[in-house]
Amino acid sequence: MKTKQYSAKIFEIDLDSEDSFISFFDKNHQLFQNHLIVVNGDESQSIKEYLNGKNLAYLFNKKIPKANKEKEILFEEEKKEEKKEEPLKEQIKSNIKVLDKLVRSGQELVIDGDLLLLNRVNSGGSIIINGTLIITQIVDGDIRCDGDFMMLQTSDKANVVFHGVEVDNKYLKEKLNRVELINDEIKITPVLKETSWV
Amino acid sequence: MGIVIAVISGKGGVGKTTTTANIGLGIAQNGKSCVVVDFDIGQRNLDMILGLENRVVYDMVHVMDDGVDVKQALIKSKMSPNLSFLAASQTKDKSVLNSEKILKLINSLKESFEYVILDAPAGIESGYEHTIEFADKAIIVVNPEVSSIRDSDRAIGILDSKSQRVKDGSEVDKFLIINRIDAKMVQSGEMLKSDDILEILSIPLIGKIPEDRGIIEASNQGRPIVLFENSKAGQAYKRIAKRLCGEKVDFVDVESETTGFMQKIKGIFK
Repeated sequence: MKTKQYSAKIFEIDLDSEDSFISFFDKNHQLFQNHLIVVNGDESQSIKEYLNGKNLAYLFNKKIPKANKEKEILFEEEKKEEKKEEPLKEQIKSNIKVLDKLVRSGQELVIDGDLLLLNRVNSGGSIIINGTLIITQIVDGDIRCDGDFMMLQTSDKANVVFHGVEVDNKYLKEKLNRVELINDEIKITPVLKETSWV
Repeated sequence: MGIVIAVISGKGGVGKTTTTANIGLGIAQNGKSCVVVDFDIGQRNLDMILGLENRVVYDMVHVMDDGVDVKQALIKSKMSPNLSFLAASQTKDKSVLNSEKILKLINSLKESFEYVILDAPAGIESGYEHTIEFADKAIIVVNPEVSSIRDSDRAIGILDSKSQRVKDGSEVDKFLIINRIDAKMVQSGEMLKSDDILEILSIPLIGKIPEDRGIIEASNQGRPIVLFENSKAGQAYKRIAKRLCGEKVDFVDVESETTGFMQKIKGIFK
């Protein structure tokens, strides 16, 4: 025995007057080509002929078992939450260091891993890092970064070397610039631009 | 027990010694007992600026190494009875210093004075490290130019890692003096603004000193500029001394002061 199971779209309509019914379907019959129409009301010959003429599938006065919509939505939400949780766990596991420390002249930060620096790097100060580097304030000092990417803003004084290549400061003037290595080429994208006041 | 203030800058020639002399005298004029100590061993000149060069008999090294009593080595200033001076050795060099002896000397000075002000040598060598080692507070003197700012930045970094207070888990209070501000040059954009300097060094300001031609003459005479009532720099040093004594003194904006004839005329029509 061959069986199939599938869901269909049902359009349910109450039949009050034949005229309004027909004028409604005259306008909208295109929308219901893939629907099953369930008509609640008197089973009249003219309506049947009309629907046959429009090539629409229909039933009269049938109770169609419906799936519990609320439950379905809940189920979906649960699924979504489960999906979200996994990357969150990853983030917690990754050991990015967050520092709010002014890197002064002569100070050298050597970082094994990733760093988020919430302060300045002054002229003569330096950061050497093998991971990702994000600096939220201006860099006047030296940066040596071999990580996946850097996000920073520099002044003319800064000296930035990314994967052994010196990065020209003029590309790092915007408020925040993303520097990354794509196919052995350094790509710089300004993330936050300087607002220009007119 | 008195408090120990080190006056530092990193770079030479920015006005550490002048600042030490003026702040020391300013504090003394406020009625507090104060001793200024020249830590620039081998290159002393605080004695000249204070006008005491002909009165140095014993210096710091005599006290530390030869058993001379501190009271014998201290020189009382004629300009204020509250001010004393301890000279650096001119013949020895900084290698004679060691932490133990310095701590002993500073402790004995703290017992008899409310303020102990140490004039650090330029640079960041051992002489500098010994000066900041036992300081409670530090005054950083900076000129509005990039080289001075970078050197001060370095000096602050060393202060934050090598002073005894930091090793004990506390902190040295730091204050910034911006020296030799030329209002005209700041207004025309040739000189760095104080706000920019403060942002770079990120330590609190205790005063701004305008450029003043009178300082050179005052130093040559051995009379610190605070003694000159009409000097703008002298007034600025007076305000700093008051702030160090705990008084609240409003900041005077030495950068936006009207300078020159044309600007004064413009000021009238504002």
